[in-house]
Amino acid sequence: MSATGYESYLAGDPVVVTAALTGGVHGKEANPAIPESPAEIAEQAAACEAAGASVLHLHARRPNGERSFDTARFQAVNDAVREATDDVILQNSTGGTGAPLEVRRNSLRTDPAPEMASLDMGPLNRYDRLTSENTRHTIDELAREMDERGIVPELEVFNNGHLNETFRLVEAGLVSEAPYVNLIFGGGTLTPPDPRNLLNLVDQLPEGSPWNVLGFGPHQLPLTTMAVLLGGHVRVGLEDNVYYRSGEPAESNAQLVERTVRVAEELGRPVATTAEAREILGLS
Amino acid sequence: MTDDTDDADGGDTCRHLEYRTEAGERAFETARAYCTVVDAFVQPMRADVCNARYGLDPERDCEWYE
Repeated sequence: MSATGYESYLAGDPVVVTAALTGGVHGKEANPAIPESPAEIAEQAAACEAAGASVLHLHARRPNGERSFDTARFQAVNDAVREATDDVILQNSTGGTGAPLEVRRNSLRTDPAPEMASLDMGPLNRYDRLTSENTRHTIDELAREMDERGIVPELEVFNNGHLNETFRLVEAGLVSEAPYVNLIFGGGTLTPPDPRNLLNLVDQLPEGSPWNVLGFGPHQLPLTTMAVLLGGHVRVGLEDNVYYRSGEPAESNAQLVERTVRVAEELGRPVATTAEAREILGLS
Repeated sequence: MTDDTDDADGGDTCRHLEYRTEAGERAFETARAYCTVVDAFVQPMRADVCNARYGLDPERDCEWYE
């Protein structure tokens, strides 16, 4: 039976819910509910865990909301989240538009290391003059450090060309033969958000790879719902979408998680416990 | 807590950058990056350009610089 298709849905396999709490692109100027300080992030982490999220995607910020790649600030976020939650999987971000490799490594160097980290698979354009370069050198260096520290990567596939890069990493032995892949839909050079594009990408994944859907803005709800039907996993949260519905700002990350859990359960897929998520994602 | 040594390569900040706790109907507890060209609070990611961190340069990398 396929682990990445409709059969998985029919079998009622559990769905892993990831909450992307804060990000580093926008902040309270976009939605005051976005948590920025370690205490705010921890509070919303606990609420998301209670709502059903088993993975928390984390970024660090300065007190004024700006991005930080400082290990100490990631440590503070990780410590606060661990203190506030019972048992969740921490996934630190290594993303950083415009930031060099040297600082993007820092989120991997907390103690203890996060169980997971994000790994951008190639370039992304969303702005007129800023680009997320993500050269192969950067990708490979981050993958090597994750492997050395026992951190499981989530491969961020911004568009279908990044599946070529996914297979390159598999063939090079830098990631497992069936890595966890996050399929991302939105503007710029992300995959255009369309159900047909999701179907096509799922067909092209490495055999056996568990996969996740991230849809920006208004595409978060429909495309994650489609992922539930296709045996995939889902990521929601204020990093990717600051609205609950058109014109109505989301009240919290937990509000978005709660809706996703309701959808998954109504469709017949239970939400994965953290133990089940660890098994699905290949964590020790 | 930390001195954010990761931005030690910062250069000259943008001449259009201000840090404000409020503007119009928006108010924050901590002063945030504000662009006087577009009269708006700046996304945290763009504030790295404003502050010339990581080799970024306002004149080269900002689409609003004047």
